[in-house]
Amino acid sequence: MSSISELYDVTWEEMRDKLRKWREENFRNSEQIVDVGEELINEHASKLGDDIWIIYEQVMIAALDCSRDDLAWSCLQELKRQFPDSHRVKRLAGMRLEALERYEDANKLYDSILQDDPTNTAARKRKISILRAQGKSSEAIRELNEYLEHYAKAAFCLEELMMTNPHNHLYCEQYGEVKYTQGGLENLELARKYFAQALKLNNRNMRALFGLYMSASHVAASPKVSAKVKKDNVKYAAWAASQISRAYQMAGRGKKENKCSVKAVEEMLESMQITMS
Amino acid sequence: MKMGEVELSCLAYAKMYLHASQFPRSSVNGLLLSSSPAGAAVCITDCVPLLHSHLSLAPITQLALTQVDVWCSQTQQRIVGYYQANACVSDSSPTPCALKIAEKIFEQCNNAVLLMIDGEKMFPGCRVPPIVMYERKDARWALKDKHTIMLRQWEETCSIVNQLFSSGDQTLLVDFDSHLDDITKDWTNQKLNAKIMELISPANGNV
Repeated sequence: MSSISELYDVTWEEMRDKLRKWREENFRNSEQIVDVGEELINEHASKLGDDIWIIYEQVMIAALDCSRDDLAWSCLQELKRQFPDSHRVKRLAGMRLEALERYEDANKLYDSILQDDPTNTAARKRKISILRAQGKSSEAIRELNEYLEHYAKAAFCLEELMMTNPHNHLYCEQYGEVKYTQGGLENLELARKYFAQALKLNNRNMRALFGLYMSASHVAASPKVSAKVKKDNVKYAAWAASQISRAYQMAGRGKKENKCSVKAVEEMLESMQITMS
Repeated sequence: MKMGEVELSCLAYAKMYLHASQFPRSSVNGLLLSSSPAGAAVCITDCVPLLHSHLSLAPITQLALTQVDVWCSQTQQRIVGYYQANACVSDSSPTPCALKIAEKIFEQCNNAVLLMIDGEKMFPGCRVPPIVMYERKDARWALKDKHTIMLRQWEETCSIVNQLFSSGDQTLLVDFDSHLDDITKDWTNQKLNAKIMELISPANGNV
């Protein structure tokens, strides 16, 4: 049986880049990932450098989709060897157990992660998937609500405060932070709006400015948004970045010791630009 | 230094202590840095105080971690740990937020430490350093053996901290939170660092 590279006349670099594209766009084309990934790992592992670990992860998950437990197992072993104490790898081991329908064992694994890190979203999500797989949807909903409650309570309190203190930019900004922390596309967009509102009330609120920059950047980088939404958020992020830059330039003027913080911000803004484009 | 040992410099200790003292009614946290190359032992040579409010909210923490990361690469330092002092003095156990951040640091540094400040031991004349350290062992954060934690010249360190309080220099400390309130303030604390280094005697070797 001929290899992918022969069949499609592609180089190993092209195969690697294809895998990255599929990763970034969250494609679930598992059969293709297994075909390309397996060949890359078997024939070109030494050339991949540190990329290999994320490729092992990507291929492992695809292998589970295709019932290729042999491949999933070998990827998992490599990851376990390299990252012996990692929660992320533990979660992958749990996913394999789920694929084998060993739900109790999987749950034990996720519980041990949560014992170590009660805020580990990934582990909670897996536990909820197990409940759904077992047809226990009302329990799944209950678990989800329990977890969300903590931040939902904070959001609720801030909502009350904002209603009674509409001109207070601090509450607006804090609400944005809670929404950002809760995560997910909708919450990030909401967060961005509240950061923007806080800035309207006080255009020198640095937390709101950074918050706007970070939430808009994340929304723009999400594969789930339309081209228009992406374009708008790139604009918001760029605006925020220029405001941040300007503020730091003004602050750094004449003060030698501020050079460090100014430089750090510039570099950070630059590096985030690269990942967004 | 041997494998598994952790050395805490006077500079790092003093700033952590000052940070916790500056906000006695809040939880505070920060990052532990090292300017030594990676090895079996950990030398904590400096620290960056981060927050004194809303420690568990993500955006500012993420921002601070990114900025400190950048600064470290510019100054040949590495992030080797995390410290936190809880608002409630009688409870010095790591919060979920502390564990989460420490976990993140551990991903990049395999002998990272998690340091909790023990508020109950923060009084003048206390003979024991008010710190509890954790290290990563068997996929958990386990208490570190006190004998592997080195605080060289402990008496001198205490006296330096006292001097900072009596001269009023403890107010010089800037954390990342304060920097966001006024960005002309320097969260790398160059001024305070210089003052502390001046007080450290040449025999200390912490230069």
